[in-house]
Amino acid sequence: MVRTANKEEVSIEAFFDKPWITIVWDDPVNLMSYVTFVFIKVFGFSSEKANELMMKVHTEGRAVVSSGSREEMERDVQQLHEHGLWATLQRDDQL
Amino acid sequence: MSQFARIGNSYSLALSQNEAEILINLAEQLLELLGEGDFFHHFDNSDPLAQLLSMPKEIETPEDPVLRRLLPNAYSDPEAASDFRRYTEPQLRGAKQRTLRVIREELTSIVDAQSDGGTIFNLDSELWLKALNDLRLALGVRLEVNNDSFETFELLPDEDSQKPMYAVYFWLGWLQGQLLGLLTAN
Repeated sequence: MVRTANKEEVSIEAFFDKPWITIVWDDPVNLMSYVTFVFIKVFGFSSEKANELMMKVHTEGRAVVSSGSREEMERDVQQLHEHGLWATLQRDDQL
Repeated sequence: MSQFARIGNSYSLALSQNEAEILINLAEQLLELLGEGDFFHHFDNSDPLAQLLSMPKEIETPEDPVLRRLLPNAYSDPEAASDFRRYTEPQLRGAKQRTLRVIREELTSIVDAQSDGGTIFNLDSELWLKALNDLRLALGVRLEVNNDSFETFELLPDEDSQKPMYAVYFWLGWLQGQLLGLLTAN
Protein backbone atom coordinates (compact mmCIF):
# COMPACT_ATOMS: atom_id res chain seq x y z
CA MET A 1 0.00 0.00 0.00
CA VAL A 2 1.20 3.49 -0.71
CA ARG A 3 1.44 5.89 2.17
CA THR A 4 -0.17 9.27 1.62
CA ALA A 5 2.54 11.90 1.63
CA ASN A 6 2.14 14.67 4.16
CA LYS A 7 2.03 18.30 3.18
CA GLU A 8 5.71 18.99 3.82
CA GLU A 9 6.89 16.06 1.70
CA VAL A 10 4.69 17.17 -1.18
CA SER A 11 6.18 20.65 -1.22
CA ILE A 12 9.75 19.33 -1.05
CA GLU A 13 8.98 16.93 -3.86
CA ALA A 14 7.46 19.76 -5.88
CA PHE A 15 10.61 21.83 -5.30
CA PHE A 16 12.88 19.19 -6.78
CA ASP A 17 10.44 17.87 -9.30
CA LYS A 18 9.24 21.03 -11.00
CA PRO A 19 12.18 23.09 -12.21
CA TRP A 20 11.97 22.12 -15.89
CA ILE A 21 10.59 24.17 -18.76
CA THR A 22 9.71 23.62 -22.42
CA ILE A 23 10.77 26.31 -24.86
CA VAL A 24 9.45 26.80 -28.40
CA TRP A 25 11.84 28.58 -30.76
CA ASP A 26 10.95 30.78 -33.71
CA ASP A 27 11.51 29.45 -37.20
CA PRO A 28 10.79 31.04 -40.57
CA VAL A 29 8.65 28.19 -41.96
CA ASN A 30 5.83 27.40 -39.53
CA LEU A 31 2.70 29.47 -40.13
CA MET A 32 1.66 31.64 -37.20
CA SER A 33 -1.86 30.22 -37.33
CA TYR A 34 -0.41 26.69 -37.28
CA VAL A 35 1.70 27.36 -34.17
CA THR A 36 -1.37 28.75 -32.39
CA PHE A 37 -3.38 25.68 -33.48
CA VAL A 38 -0.72 23.30 -32.10
CA PHE A 39 -0.57 25.13 -28.74
CA ILE A 40 -4.34 24.77 -28.38
CA LYS A 41 -4.26 21.11 -29.39
CA VAL A 42 -1.25 19.99 -27.32
CA PHE A 43 -1.75 22.10 -24.19
CA GLY A 44 -5.48 22.83 -24.28
CA PHE A 45 -4.80 26.60 -24.04
CA SER A 46 -7.54 29.11 -24.81
CA SER A 47 -7.12 30.68 -28.24
CA GLU A 48 -6.16 33.97 -26.52
CA LYS A 49 -3.36 32.36 -24.52
CA ALA A 50 -2.18 30.28 -27.48
CA ASN A 51 -2.10 33.36 -29.68
CA GLU A 52 -0.23 35.36 -27.03
CA LEU A 53 2.46 32.66 -26.72
CA MET A 54 2.74 32.34 -30.50
CA MET A 55 3.33 36.11 -30.75
CA LYS A 56 5.98 35.87 -28.03
CA VAL A 57 7.79 33.18 -30.04
CA HIS A 58 7.45 35.30 -33.17
CA THR A 59 8.65 38.60 -31.70
CA GLU A 60 11.13 37.44 -29.05
CA GLY A 61 12.46 34.39 -30.82
CA ARG A 62 11.32 31.97 -28.14
CA ALA A 63 8.76 31.41 -25.40
CA VAL A 64 8.36 29.14 -22.40
CA VAL A 65 5.20 27.16 -23.13
CA SER A 66 5.07 24.77 -20.19
CA SER A 67 6.81 23.88 -16.93
CA GLY A 68 6.83 20.85 -14.70
CA SER A 69 8.79 17.69 -14.07
CA ARG A 70 11.49 16.61 -16.50
CA GLU A 71 9.34 13.67 -17.64
CA GLU A 72 6.36 15.93 -18.31
CA MET A 73 8.52 18.33 -20.32
CA GLU A 74 10.00 15.47 -22.33
CA ARG A 75 6.48 14.40 -23.27
CA ASP A 76 5.58 17.98 -24.26
CA VAL A 77 8.72 18.29 -26.40
CA GLN A 78 7.96 14.96 -28.09
CA GLN A 79 4.45 16.11 -28.97
CA LEU A 80 5.68 19.46 -30.27
CA HIS A 81 8.31 17.71 -32.42
CA GLU A 82 5.65 15.43 -33.80
CA HIS A 83 3.81 18.57 -34.95
CA GLY A 84 6.97 20.03 -36.46
CA LEU A 85 7.58 22.77 -33.90
CA TRP A 86 11.15 23.43 -32.80
CA ALA A 87 11.12 22.78 -29.04
CA THR A 88 13.69 22.08 -26.34
CA LEU A 89 13.59 21.50 -22.60
CA GLN A 90 15.92 22.64 -19.86
CA ARG A 91 16.13 23.44 -16.19
CA ASP A 92 14.31 26.64 -15.33
CA ASP A 93 17.46 28.33 -13.98
CA GLN A 94 19.36 28.03 -17.25
CA LEU A 95 17.32 30.64 -19.08
CA MET B 1 -7.54 24.12 -58.59
CA SER B 2 -6.33 22.73 -55.27
CA GLN B 3 -9.03 23.16 -52.69
CA PHE B 4 -9.78 21.83 -49.24
CA ALA B 5 -13.46 21.68 -48.40
CA ARG B 6 -15.41 20.83 -45.28
CA ILE B 7 -18.93 19.53 -44.95
CA GLY B 8 -19.78 19.08 -41.29
CA ASN B 9 -16.77 17.22 -39.94
CA SER B 10 -15.85 15.66 -43.24
CA TYR B 11 -12.88 17.12 -45.09
CA SER B 12 -11.92 16.71 -48.72
CA LEU B 13 -9.13 17.88 -50.97
CA ALA B 14 -9.51 18.45 -54.70
CA LEU B 15 -6.28 18.40 -56.70
CA SER B 16 -5.31 18.59 -60.33
CA GLN B 17 -3.26 15.72 -61.69
CA ASN B 18 -0.19 17.92 -61.72
CA GLU B 19 -0.68 19.03 -58.10
CA ALA B 20 -1.19 15.45 -56.94
CA GLU B 21 2.04 14.47 -58.68
CA ILE B 22 3.97 17.28 -57.03
CA LEU B 23 2.66 16.28 -53.59
CA ILE B 24 3.33 12.58 -54.04
CA ASN B 25 6.86 13.28 -55.28
CA LEU B 26 7.62 15.41 -52.25
CA ALA B 27 6.11 12.84 -49.88
CA GLU B 28 8.17 10.06 -51.43
CA GLN B 29 11.39 12.07 -51.30
CA LEU B 30 10.83 12.84 -47.65
CA LEU B 31 9.94 9.21 -46.92
CA GLU B 32 13.20 8.17 -48.53
CA LEU B 33 15.14 10.68 -46.46
CA LEU B 34 13.40 9.58 -43.25
CA GLY B 35 14.06 5.95 -44.12
CA GLU B 36 17.77 6.41 -43.54
CA GLY B 37 18.70 5.04 -40.15
CA ASP B 38 15.29 3.46 -39.80
CA PHE B 39 15.94 0.85 -37.14
CA PHE B 40 12.46 -0.59 -37.04
CA HIS B 41 11.53 -1.18 -40.62
CA HIS B 42 11.57 -4.97 -40.35
CA PHE B 43 8.82 -5.26 -37.81
CA ASP B 44 5.97 -3.48 -36.09
CA ASN B 45 7.62 -0.56 -34.34
CA SER B 46 4.64 0.10 -32.07
CA ASP B 47 5.37 -3.05 -30.06
CA PRO B 48 7.09 -1.95 -26.80
CA LEU B 49 9.02 -5.22 -26.51
CA ALA B 50 10.38 -4.86 -30.02
CA GLN B 51 11.42 -1.33 -29.19
CA LEU B 52 13.19 -2.46 -26.06
CA LEU B 53 15.03 -5.33 -27.71
CA SER B 54 16.18 -3.30 -30.66
CA MET B 55 17.09 -0.19 -28.69
CA PRO B 56 20.18 1.14 -30.40
CA LYS B 57 23.16 1.99 -28.21
CA GLU B 58 23.33 5.45 -29.67
CA ILE B 59 21.59 7.52 -32.33
CA GLU B 60 23.58 10.48 -33.56
CA THR B 61 22.16 13.86 -34.47
CA PRO B 62 21.33 13.60 -38.20
CA GLU B 63 23.78 15.28 -40.56
CA ASP B 64 21.17 16.25 -43.11
CA PRO B 65 19.74 19.66 -42.14
CA VAL B 66 16.20 18.58 -43.13
CA LEU B 67 16.36 15.63 -40.72
CA ARG B 68 17.91 17.86 -38.07
CA ARG B 69 14.89 20.13 -38.37
CA LEU B 70 12.29 17.34 -38.43
CA LEU B 71 13.99 15.33 -35.67
CA PRO B 72 15.55 18.11 -33.59
CA ASN B 73 17.70 17.86 -30.49
CA ALA B 74 15.56 18.21 -27.38
CA TYR B 75 18.43 19.45 -25.21
CA SER B 76 21.27 21.87 -25.87
CA ASP B 77 23.53 19.57 -23.84
CA PRO B 78 24.84 16.98 -26.33
CA GLU B 79 24.82 14.10 -23.87
CA ALA B 80 21.23 14.69 -22.74
CA ALA B 81 20.19 15.26 -26.36
CA SER B 82 21.76 11.98 -27.42
CA ASP B 83 20.13 10.06 -24.59
CA PHE B 84 16.70 11.52 -25.38
CA ARG B 85 17.18 10.77 -29.07
CA ARG B 86 18.03 7.16 -28.32
CA TYR B 87 14.71 6.67 -26.54
CA THR B 88 12.43 8.79 -28.67
CA GLU B 89 13.76 9.33 -32.19
CA PRO B 90 12.59 5.99 -33.63
CA GLN B 91 9.02 6.74 -32.53
CA LEU B 92 9.13 10.29 -33.87
CA ARG B 93 10.60 9.14 -37.16
CA GLY B 94 8.00 6.35 -37.36
CA ALA B 95 5.13 8.77 -36.70
CA LYS B 96 6.30 11.05 -39.51
CA GLN B 97 6.71 8.10 -41.87
CA ARG B 98 3.21 6.79 -41.12
CA THR B 99 1.71 10.22 -41.77
CA LEU B 100 3.48 10.52 -45.11
CA ARG B 101 2.53 6.98 -46.12
CA VAL B 102 -1.14 7.79 -45.55
CA ILE B 103 -1.08 10.83 -47.81
CA ARG B 104 0.98 8.95 -50.40
CA GLU B 105 -1.67 6.22 -50.44
CA GLU B 106 -4.47 8.76 -50.85
CA LEU B 107 -2.63 10.65 -53.57
CA THR B 108 -1.90 7.45 -55.46
CA SER B 109 -5.56 7.06 -56.36
CA ILE B 110 -5.52 10.43 -58.13
CA VAL B 111 -2.13 9.97 -59.75
CA ASP B 112 -2.92 6.47 -61.01
CA ALA B 113 -6.27 7.49 -62.49
CA GLN B 114 -4.38 9.60 -65.07
CA SER B 115 -7.34 11.95 -65.46
CA ASP B 116 -7.50 15.73 -65.04
CA GLY B 117 -7.40 15.38 -61.30
CA GLY B 118 -9.49 14.10 -58.45
CA THR B 119 -10.73 14.51 -54.92
CA ILE B 120 -9.68 12.80 -51.70
CA PHE B 121 -12.78 12.43 -49.53
CA ASN B 122 -13.04 11.92 -45.76
CA LEU B 123 -9.41 12.72 -45.17
CA ASP B 124 -7.87 13.00 -41.70
CA SER B 125 -7.58 16.79 -41.46
CA GLU B 126 -5.01 16.87 -38.64
CA LEU B 127 -2.87 14.23 -40.31
CA TRP B 128 -2.86 16.27 -43.52
CA LEU B 129 -2.00 19.39 -41.55
CA LYS B 130 1.07 17.66 -40.08
CA ALA B 131 2.08 16.16 -43.42
CA LEU B 132 1.86 19.52 -45.23
CA ASN B 133 3.84 21.10 -42.42
CA ASP B 134 6.62 18.50 -42.62
CA LEU B 135 6.82 18.92 -46.39
CA ARG B 136 7.04 22.70 -45.98
CA LEU B 137 9.74 22.32 -43.31
CA ALA B 138 11.76 20.08 -45.62
CA LEU B 139 11.46 22.45 -48.57
CA GLY B 140 12.03 25.47 -46.35
CA VAL B 141 15.30 24.04 -45.05
CA ARG B 142 16.48 23.18 -48.58
CA LEU B 143 15.60 26.67 -49.83
CA GLU B 144 17.02 28.25 -46.66
CA VAL B 145 13.91 30.41 -46.39
CA ASN B 146 13.77 33.41 -44.13
CA ASN B 147 11.20 36.12 -43.50
CA ASP B 148 12.10 37.88 -46.77
CA SER B 149 11.78 34.80 -48.95
CA PHE B 150 8.58 35.84 -50.68
CA GLU B 151 10.37 38.92 -52.05
CA THR B 152 13.35 36.75 -53.01
CA PHE B 153 10.97 34.48 -54.90
CA GLU B 154 9.24 37.33 -56.71
CA LEU B 155 12.55 38.85 -57.77
CA LEU B 156 13.95 35.54 -59.08
CA PRO B 157 14.06 35.37 -62.88
CA ASP B 158 11.75 32.72 -64.35
CA GLU B 159 14.69 30.68 -65.61
CA ASP B 160 16.20 30.35 -62.12
CA SER B 161 16.24 26.67 -61.17
CA GLN B 162 15.02 27.43 -57.65
CA LYS B 163 11.94 29.33 -58.80
CA PRO B 164 9.66 26.29 -59.18
CA MET B 165 10.70 25.01 -55.75
CA TYR B 166 9.82 28.36 -54.20
CA ALA B 167 6.49 28.30 -56.03
CA VAL B 168 5.70 24.87 -54.58
CA TYR B 169 6.80 26.01 -51.12
CA PHE B 170 4.43 28.98 -51.13
CA TRP B 171 1.63 26.92 -52.65
CA LEU B 172 1.98 24.40 -49.78
CA GLY B 173 1.77 27.27 -47.29
CA TRP B 174 -1.38 28.54 -48.96
CA LEU B 175 -2.86 25.03 -48.91
CA GLN B 176 -2.00 24.52 -45.25
CA GLY B 177 -3.48 27.92 -44.40
CA GLN B 178 -6.69 26.97 -46.18
CA LEU B 179 -7.01 23.76 -44.15
CA LEU B 180 -6.24 25.60 -40.91
CA GLY B 181 -8.96 28.11 -41.74
CA LEU B 182 -11.49 25.30 -42.12
CA LEU B 183 -10.31 23.56 -38.94
CA THR B 184 -10.58 26.68 -36.79
CA ALA B 185 -13.83 28.00 -38.25
CA ASN B 186 -16.85 27.15 -36.13
